[in-house]
Amino acid sequence: MIQFSHVSKIYPNGTVALKDVTLEIQQGEFVAIIGLSGAGKSTLIKLINKMTDVTEGSLIVNKSDVRRLQGAELRRFRRRIGIVFQSFNLINRTSVINNVLAARVADMNFFSTLLGLYSRDDKLLALESLDNVGILEKAYSRADQLSGGQQQRVALARTLAQKPSIILADEPVASLDPITANQIMKDFKRINVDHNITVIANMHHVDMALKYANRVIGINKGEIVFDGPSSQVNEDLLKKIYGREITDEDIMFKKTLGE
Amino acid sequence: MNEKQKKRSTGDSESERLKRPRPVKAFLDRLAARNLAHRTTTLSNGATIVRPFSWSLTNSLIILVIFLFFWDMIVGAYFDKYDFMIFVRRIPNFLNILQKMWTEFDWSYFDFVVDPMVDTIQMALLGTAIGAVFSLPVAFLASANIVKSKIVSGVVKTILSFVRTFPTLVYAAILAFIFGYGTLIGVLATAIFTFGILTKMLFEVIETLDLSSFVAIEATGASKGKAFITSVIPQIMGSFLSFTLYSIEINIRSSAILGYVGAGGVGIMLDENMNWRRYGNIGVILVVLFVSVLIIENISRYLRKKLS
Ligand SMILES: Nc1ncnc2c1ncn2[C@@H]1O[C@H](COP(=O)(O)OP(=O)(O)O)[C@@H](O)[C@H]1O
Ligand SMILES: [Mg+2]
Repeated sequence: MIQFSHVSKIYPNGTVALKDVTLEIQQGEFVAIIGLSGAGKSTLIKLINKMTDVTEGSLIVNKSDVRRLQGAELRRFRRRIGIVFQSFNLINRTSVINNVLAARVADMNFFSTLLGLYSRDDKLLALESLDNVGILEKAYSRADQLSGGQQQRVALARTLAQKPSIILADEPVASLDPITANQIMKDFKRINVDHNITVIANMHHVDMALKYANRVIGINKGEIVFDGPSSQVNEDLLKKIYGREITDEDIMFKKTLGE
Repeated sequence: MNEKQKKRSTGDSESERLKRPRPVKAFLDRLAARNLAHRTTTLSNGATIVRPFSWSLTNSLIILVIFLFFWDMIVGAYFDKYDFMIFVRRIPNFLNILQKMWTEFDWSYFDFVVDPMVDTIQMALLGTAIGAVFSLPVAFLASANIVKSKIVSGVVKTILSFVRTFPTLVYAAILAFIFGYGTLIGVLATAIFTFGILTKMLFEVIETLDLSSFVAIEATGASKGKAFITSVIPQIMGSFLSFTLYSIEINIRSSAILGYVGAGGVGIMLDENMNWRRYGNIGVILVVLFVSVLIIENISRYLRKKLS
């Protein structure tokens, strides 16, 4: 479970990215966060695994007080939280399987890491993770030679190899074509349902958010302006979240909305 | 104006100096005027346009002449002419030695050169390997984009520039003073030098690297060190190997001379034969050295080409 209570985030340069955020996310939910660029979506996600620090308020994730976590304890906490980035963030010039295995080094001792000695179990887990997202046959290809969609699947497999309880995703399909984006979102959905893993995804495209998430959180200028089931989201609410009419820019499949 | 320059100009009164022909200046003025004319285009309606200066061959030559002119002024001010005359007068001695290397050349000395040459090569290879191994973790500490503390990377970089100040020969001399003579000194001196240059080349590569994968591995709960090993090292491995091979090329040359300060290898033999005026032997050593360097350099260059 994730509990934000009265959380604010002010960056060192004075930018107020989040204002008085209070929300609770239960284990196994699929939450989409929507809002204009600069609204604070990435910041919200980064707070959860402490890639950036909370300025005010309290944040409890998996019973840990995130503000107090540091050093070895923080690293142990992060092992159960996966994160998928818009730009995939894979290791170039390295095989797909080694990219996935990289998720295991947090649990390994330093010398095994140095020599790249992964256990049989870890290798099996990595291959199973790749199979789970349907690209087992690419295991021994170089990661930078795959298409964007395949690379994002590798990133997803890497996250699965962490055996996470939460997966965070920062605009995971914004740089992919609509067909591929849909397939990746289906992978997220399946993982969410099959393994009861909480998925929190920032979504650039409203239609994709509504299609796959059970719950939508709308942010406008750092404040939560909507939090409820996807089915409740209508044009008026979107206007409130975006502060303007929805344009083609905000939709991936341009004709689907309103049909 | 310093003392020496004053001395040089004594005897010339001010008016005499002005009257004296100044061929270099006249030459340069003429060149500049011609250059400007050359770059100017006049249209039929009388409008002119000057093409901007560019580094053409003639321009480069002019700059070189100007540079040499000033260089002569500066160097002339600080070095006595007599030094130069000694140098000129002894050129025949030098030619004489060269001639003896050739006429007294004796291949039977080859047998004595092989072992020290192997020592020299081993010093270079082992020293390079040791320096290379240590350069990776220190490059990690020196990279400002990985170690977020500016103090840590700054201090490490400062220490590294200090390490790089001295050439291998100086380290060998210092180490020989402390530990006595032997090949080990050469290995250590080569290792320190290699460490200094390799680390710098590596952190410069790391600092321009896309660290998104590093961030992703850190986010899985891995420490910075483990994230570095899994995500940065695979990306810099090509550069690392290439730099290491290049270091071998440099080190082979410098280790040949290390014997002079007591580090073993062919350097000692060069020193001894020089003292005994056995120029024929020196000829043999130089040939062996030349061939060895050539072979190693070509192997290294071949491997580096394969890497890139
Ligand atoms: N590291 C940072 N330092 C300062 N300001 C930042 C930083 N990261 C984000 N911001 C600012 O915080 C606000 C929210 O950013 P972000 O969370 O990235 O929004 P979104 O992901 O919704 O586009 C923006 O105004 C952005 O400029
Ligand atoms: Mg963002």
